[in-house]
Amino acid sequence: MSVTTTAPDKTSLEKRDPDGAPRRAGGLKALLTHPLGRKLVPLTALAAVLIPIAAVLWGSGAWPSELSHDVKAPLDSVNQWIIDNRDTHPLFLYFLLYFSNAATDSVDAVYNLLDSLGWIGVTATAVLFAWRAGGLGRAGLKVAGITLGAFAVCGLLGMWDPTMITLALMVVAVAVSAVLGALLGLAAGLSERFNRMLRPVLDTMQVMPAFSYLLPMVLIFGPGTPAALFSTVIYAVPPMTRLTALGLRGADPAVLEASSSLGASFWQRLLTARLPLARKQMLLGLNQTIMMALSMVVIASIVGAGGLGEEVFTALSTTDVGKALAAGLPIVLIAVWLDRTTAAAGERFGATAAAEATGARRLLHGWRAWALVTAGAVVAAVAGRLAGATLWPEAWVYEISTPVNKFQEWITNNLYQDVPVLGGTKVWADHITEWMINPLRDGLLDAPWWLLLLLVAVLALLVGTWGTALTAVLAMAAVGVLGVWPKTLDTLSQVLVGLALTLLLGFAIGILAARVGWVERWLRLVLDVLQTLPQFVYLIPVVALMGVGRVAAITAAVAYALPAVVRITTQGIKEVDPAALEAARSMGASGAQQLRQVQLPLARPALLVAVNQGVVLVLAVVVVGGLVGGGALGYDVVFGLARGELGVGLVAGAAIVCLGLVLDRVTQPTAATRKES
Amino acid sequence: MSATLVPETPETPEKSENNGKAPVFSVRGLWKVFGPKADRIPGSAEAGLSAEELRARTGCTAAVRDVSFDVQPGEVFVVMGLSGSGKSTLVRCLTRLIEPTAGELSIDGEDVLGMDRNRLRDLRRHRAAMVFQHFGLLPHRSVLDNVAYGLEIQGVGKAERRARAAKVIEKVGLTGLERRRPGQLSGGQQQRVGLARALAVDPEVLLFDEPFSALDPLIRRDMQEEVIRLHREEGRTMVFITHDLSEALRLGDRIALMRDGGIVQLGTPEEIVDSPADDYVRDFVRDVPREQVITVRKAMRPANGDEATDGASVAPGVTVAEAIEVAARSGGPVRVVENGRCIGIVDHQRLLAVVAGVEAGVVPA
Repeated sequence: MSVTTTAPDKTSLEKRDPDGAPRRAGGLKALLTHPLGRKLVPLTALAAVLIPIAAVLWGSGAWPSELSHDVKAPLDSVNQWIIDNRDTHPLFLYFLLYFSNAATDSVDAVYNLLDSLGWIGVTATAVLFAWRAGGLGRAGLKVAGITLGAFAVCGLLGMWDPTMITLALMVVAVAVSAVLGALLGLAAGLSERFNRMLRPVLDTMQVMPAFSYLLPMVLIFGPGTPAALFSTVIYAVPPMTRLTALGLRGADPAVLEASSSLGASFWQRLLTARLPLARKQMLLGLNQTIMMALSMVVIASIVGAGGLGEEVFTALSTTDVGKALAAGLPIVLIAVWLDRTTAAAGERFGATAAAEATGARRLLHGWRAWALVTAGAVVAAVAGRLAGATLWPEAWVYEISTPVNKFQEWITNNLYQDVPVLGGTKVWADHITEWMINPLRDGLLDAPWWLLLLLVAVLALLVGTWGTALTAVLAMAAVGVLGVWPKTLDTLSQVLVGLALTLLLGFAIGILAARVGWVERWLRLVLDVLQTLPQFVYLIPVVALMGVGRVAAITAAVAYALPAVVRITTQGIKEVDPAALEAARSMGASGAQQLRQVQLPLARPALLVAVNQGVVLVLAVVVVGGLVGGGALGYDVVFGLARGELGVGLVAGAAIVCLGLVLDRVTQPTAATRKES
Repeated sequence: MSATLVPETPETPEKSENNGKAPVFSVRGLWKVFGPKADRIPGSAEAGLSAEELRARTGCTAAVRDVSFDVQPGEVFVVMGLSGSGKSTLVRCLTRLIEPTAGELSIDGEDVLGMDRNRLRDLRRHRAAMVFQHFGLLPHRSVLDNVAYGLEIQGVGKAERRARAAKVIEKVGLTGLERRRPGQLSGGQQQRVGLARALAVDPEVLLFDEPFSALDPLIRRDMQEEVIRLHREEGRTMVFITHDLSEALRLGDRIALMRDGGIVQLGTPEEIVDSPADDYVRDFVRDVPREQVITVRKAMRPANGDEATDGASVAPGVTVAEAIEVAARSGGPVRVVENGRCIGIVDHQRLLAVVAGVEAGVVPA
């Protein structure tokens, strides 16, 4: 499709170009009738009027101070007011307090339950349920093995208690998110109007970096478990909602019609046809919700919820890589455990189950199996208690931080610099800072503010509609109004460098994987693991390799965004219509020709999605990189949280959201342009 | 544009009065218009416009326009037309899966359009069951539970509905596959499940919406045989939608031929093939092997002299193709005998005239 639209574009351009100065009337007319021209010509006219006025009024440097508005002071006073009134004001006493108490109580209750189960009980429960969820065959055994390994390593690393705190938070957060998401998804799946209302909200939530959810919650609830829990819930709800709605809407219309034709009532149809048909999508949603919740729970540890994230956070703040790794590994293992278990359960539902089991094996199906598993878990827990084992035995803890720190020292001494020929990680980092980030940042800072706004407008208009452009420009301007223009541009420069590296690597690897079978097979194993990891853990290895700084943050961002970009690229290229590819091959196109002339043009929609995903993911981690010396907006958030200066943090958080909106809008092909291409 | 009836066909309501049986479905002036302000179209000045003109002027599409017919008890009523002719919309209007825009519609004399939600649900649960082109089976349920689905919706208990479903499964020849999932069955088997599901609720009338279009030709033939067998055994009323003329001719007691939402011709297969109402129908039936549809009653001529007493004989309902075989064996003209009385003669000339599609009446005997 895209081939057919670009072809006339080219010819019309060529026709105009050779004339040098084209005949005015014809040229303008052609320009106006061309779809891009129709958008860009009015914009040019608008800019020609507005920009001189703006430049005369407010100059052409960085964002003019006349247009900034101080929001820090009012925010700080709001914060102060909340702190002063938290224990007395009815809004808190009769409303928010209930929420925060419920949050604290339920997390405590789950933690106490886990604690009383003891490490044997918890491990046995997790293993048995994982086995049940994975099914009877080899899949179930594999999942059970992964679970056993994950919990054992958590204990061995001496992280049992933080793991349980994180797990308790997770259990409550996932339960709330899943129920909330399923209900919202149900509403959106059944009501077209609600769906239309909800979709833009979900779209926006999806591009907001995890960091930006923390501050408002801290503002309302203060640091602690409730803030962590609620920000996690909000962060994790969208996938469940989206996929539930998608599953309900995507149900085979023939089935629904058949159900109606037999006289099913609304509820009968919902319960017997719509929900069962959406089951697979809903499980996928649950899986994503769990992974998002884990990602957020770890980050939310910063606001005082405790758990594994806090261990990583404190270790990173003193650049103690060994301790950070000891806390980071359990996070990775829990992520793998949760992902494998829910994925295995999802696959089992998706597979058209073979003939139902009979006889003895029936015991292992349906509710009987759940009862059996529960009974087994209870027995293990009781046995563990009787043996007096609640906490992981001290003797079984293996201290890895010392050897890791020794290794880290070796890296510092041997890989940072003076590596023959290659240079060294620190050297690369310095070069990237010197040659890429700094010039870009300085360029952005030197550019007149109106030029950046215009650039944003043009880019947004190219990929979207006037509405897109307006949103993007307003979001960009909001950054200036908030008074964090330079810091935002600093963050932006990091994001752009990160994005460039991500796309360069991602497209290269993606194309390679799409063309070479074994690369894809191996890559898939790696990507599966990488994609489940919370953003936080990416910071640990980069700090080990390059120390703190902007490049560390960018590298973590690239590593975090790369799997998604590679995957989308590979998929897009592989899903190119085989008939088109075969036709090209039949005409004797070489491999490179096939790629350039057929695969890449036809995969363009997927590549655009990859760019969009890349930019959103890079931004998310670049701001988290504030923890490891990324500076700019991310640092303000961390600073605001750590010092209780919420005004600073909230402004930075708002700027991050705005930047996220800008970046998303200028890279997100809207439905309209998608139809065109 | 109401049904253009072939002159010879007795008007259906009269026939029903004659038989003393009320029609199962009685449809009068039914409209279904999609688009903005659809309810204004029927009966307005635009009603007579062609499909394209109507869309250009009002933005509406008339999927069913002013359709009238009766479905008699025990008959197989086929609605036939090309895609887009409105036949699938029409059959959905019968149980208001699609809400008709205007007209009258009754089942056993009871007004369907006036039914409230409960009565309508009752109609769908007990009186009319439908078989769909794309099966519409529940992928997460076994064949047995799919067949029992209609009973489940009626609120029949698990043991009883499974027992009843098992009987129907046997009837459609799916014994042994009860525990499979629909995804593990072939297309033909899946449609048997769809058929069994419809039969399980023991409906008064079965509605088929192009049930076999998605199947391979050989399996399609099998399934057609199955429907013919079921009809012979149970005598259930059927409304059958198809775009396949040979299927329509094979199955239909009467055929309504649709085009652009209206019925172009309504009659028996023989009437449609022998005397097409207009050029469109004529074009449609051009390639039909006429000798397999037209009966000797249509082809015969009065007996001359002693022809009435001598020679091979056939019944008047026999097709020309069968009569040709008899004539070839006997070597002479064949007598058409009804109730022991010779009512006419088909000779070689007559039979060949049918095959050739020329008017044989002018040829002297």
